[in-house]
Amino acid sequence: MKKEEIKISSLDKGKGMSRRKFLALTASTTAALSFGTFLRSGLGATKVSLLTWPNTLSAMDDVLREQAREYSKIKGVEISIEFVSYNDLPTKTAAAVESGAGPDIVCLVGDGAHLHAKSLVDVSDVANTLAKELKGWTNIAKDVGMVGKTWRAIPWAICPQVINYRIDWLKELGYQKFPDTYEDMLTLAKKLKDKGHPVGFALGRALGDANQFHYPLLWAFGGAECKKDGKTVAINSPETAKAIDYRRELHKLGESDDVYAWDDAANNRAFMAEAISVTLNATSIYWAMKKNAPHLREVTDHALAPRGPAGRFSYSTPFSLGIFKFSKVQKEAKAFIKWLLEPKQYSAWMGVGEGMMAGLLNFYEDDPVWKKDPKFEASRLTPKYCRLPGYPGPPSRHAAEAMVKYVIVNMFARACKGMSTAETIKIAEAELKEIYGKA
Amino acid sequence: MKAFVAQSGKKAKKQLALSFLKSEALTGYFLISPALFLLLVLLAYPFFLALYISCSDRVLGEPGKFILLGNFFKLFRDTYFRQTVWNSFVYTLTTVSLKLVLGMALALLLNQDFPCRNIIRGALLLPWIVPTSLSVLTWLWMFDSLFSVINYILQSLGIISKKIPWLGDPFWAMVSVIIVNTWRGLPFFAVSILAGLMAIPKELYEAAEVDGALAVRKFWHVTLPLLQPVIAVVVLFSTIWTFADFQIVYILTHGGPLNATQIFATMAYDVALVAGRIGEGAAISLFLFPALLVVIILILRYLRQE
Repeated sequence: MKKEEIKISSLDKGKGMSRRKFLALTASTTAALSFGTFLRSGLGATKVSLLTWPNTLSAMDDVLREQAREYSKIKGVEISIEFVSYNDLPTKTAAAVESGAGPDIVCLVGDGAHLHAKSLVDVSDVANTLAKELKGWTNIAKDVGMVGKTWRAIPWAICPQVINYRIDWLKELGYQKFPDTYEDMLTLAKKLKDKGHPVGFALGRALGDANQFHYPLLWAFGGAECKKDGKTVAINSPETAKAIDYRRELHKLGESDDVYAWDDAANNRAFMAEAISVTLNATSIYWAMKKNAPHLREVTDHALAPRGPAGRFSYSTPFSLGIFKFSKVQKEAKAFIKWLLEPKQYSAWMGVGEGMMAGLLNFYEDDPVWKKDPKFEASRLTPKYCRLPGYPGPPSRHAAEAMVKYVIVNMFARACKGMSTAETIKIAEAELKEIYGKA
Repeated sequence: MKAFVAQSGKKAKKQLALSFLKSEALTGYFLISPALFLLLVLLAYPFFLALYISCSDRVLGEPGKFILLGNFFKLFRDTYFRQTVWNSFVYTLTTVSLKLVLGMALALLLNQDFPCRNIIRGALLLPWIVPTSLSVLTWLWMFDSLFSVINYILQSLGIISKKIPWLGDPFWAMVSVIIVNTWRGLPFFAVSILAGLMAIPKELYEAAEVDGALAVRKFWHVTLPLLQPVIAVVVLFSTIWTFADFQIVYILTHGGPLNATQIFATMAYDVALVAGRIGEGAAISLFLFPALLVVIILILRYLRQE
């Protein structure tokens, strides 16, 4: 206190400013400055915030950021983007839903639009306009964004899951391209493992990879966790049993035991380290080779997930953009989403992704990016075969819970560890009944 | 005279009121009120809110109904949850016992005279200081199915012929999380017990020696009884922390494989935040609360008696 007084009194003498004047000046400057900030933020420009995850391909995020800046310039609406890690996104979204405060637009993963339907604005108008302009939505887009008859989120993209395989090792065995059916893949897997190049499909806690391989496998053999009503558990069927027997054989003849420990990044590492010859993944491995292993890029190609007796299926994680009901700038948020999905912006964004992300409007099936490299063809075709957990029922909270509890993956994993088919189905059925029995 | 009495009566009343205001008790309450307020806002409110949520069938974004203990009864019947309870007990009891035994040994060692004693005592705390998520990521690499440095060393030394599937096998996955938890919690045990050891008067040992006691008996009859309060507190804290552990399991195994390492916190996270059933998630995380409360009360009462 004393020191301050001395200082100010010396100010008094030196520059002829009294303490009162000094305080008044400081206060008024602060007020003027903060009023200016207030003007700029509150009145001058509308702000729309977007919460999303940093893409594996950072170039896609750079384009997104650049587009947000451009949008601010053209439309005078300031866009701020917050990136949180993929694993934190559900937590952040849950926090926003619960507290009723947070970003205006949120990137929803998987069936997020269904989980949070009651907190999301109806965006049917945007969805319908886009459909009219861009040749309509794919079926998977409707599964992702529509809850009942209302669009609760605008499908943004899916990350196509395709077979990644080594051309050179297949050629050594006389294969020109990857087999089209699961049965033929089994024959190939055995030959590859005998040559010291096992295949590998995650059987551990890889929320992406493990579920993305095993749901389509189940469906391709005609099995399903529930009936079309989305309520009756239907896992106990001869079709499920066939899928399990197949998986057990595939593991025994074609894989190493490492797959039980795999998380989402493990198969990428194993493929890059040339420890496996075939896996199911996004094209991110191929992309990463550009920098780290160009020689492997030459001998790596992609194929659609194989076909089974009941057809070909894929579960590739979809992303959609929803607007929270608590947002005060819903109109502006809608306009921004619409703008992002228009060809000029969307093509640029999808283009730098090099097959990592596929658009869900039919128009983008013919995007120039697909012609850049013939190895992207499988990614281009994958959205057609895509379904969501809970199929043939609608996506639901029950299906989501079954997935995070790894009911389906564990059913297969137990069989691969030696449990009988009937027993592992029984466990899965009990778990599913417990989950689907909830309100 | 009467007037005087009345006046002095008033004065006395006034004085009484004044002295009450000035009394230490009131000042005391006044002074702790900010802290009390913080406790209420930061601890009591979230706790009771969690208690309330656990008694409702609430899902994300929807208010939900009050269903009393419905969630808890449902959990009792759930095989998945029963496995989680079993895992949590195995995980907690094993790690706490290991940490206690090893921590005691380490503390006894560090209590000896040797060169650079203080530096080594300080370095001991490192696993405790490094952010858990960072150190666990390093462990993740050490347990990697392809590049495990532990397997590499064991194989090079000829101890094992086949790779150990650290995170890929239900049994080994549990062993892995137990190793990491023990590694991380050991310094806390060692340092706390060391502090307790240093507080034991030397005379007691001298007296025991005079009576002809050997090292084991000295430990059994002098060291251990005097360390009991420290051990009680350390075990209590560690038990609570380990039951509530999240990071180690989440990063290393995420509860897998085959749910072999799923524990309360990781299951609550999956159910509440990823599947959106926050009522049930809260019930899972509060499931052990009554049991832990009893343990805490017993241990605290024991400490007070001591």
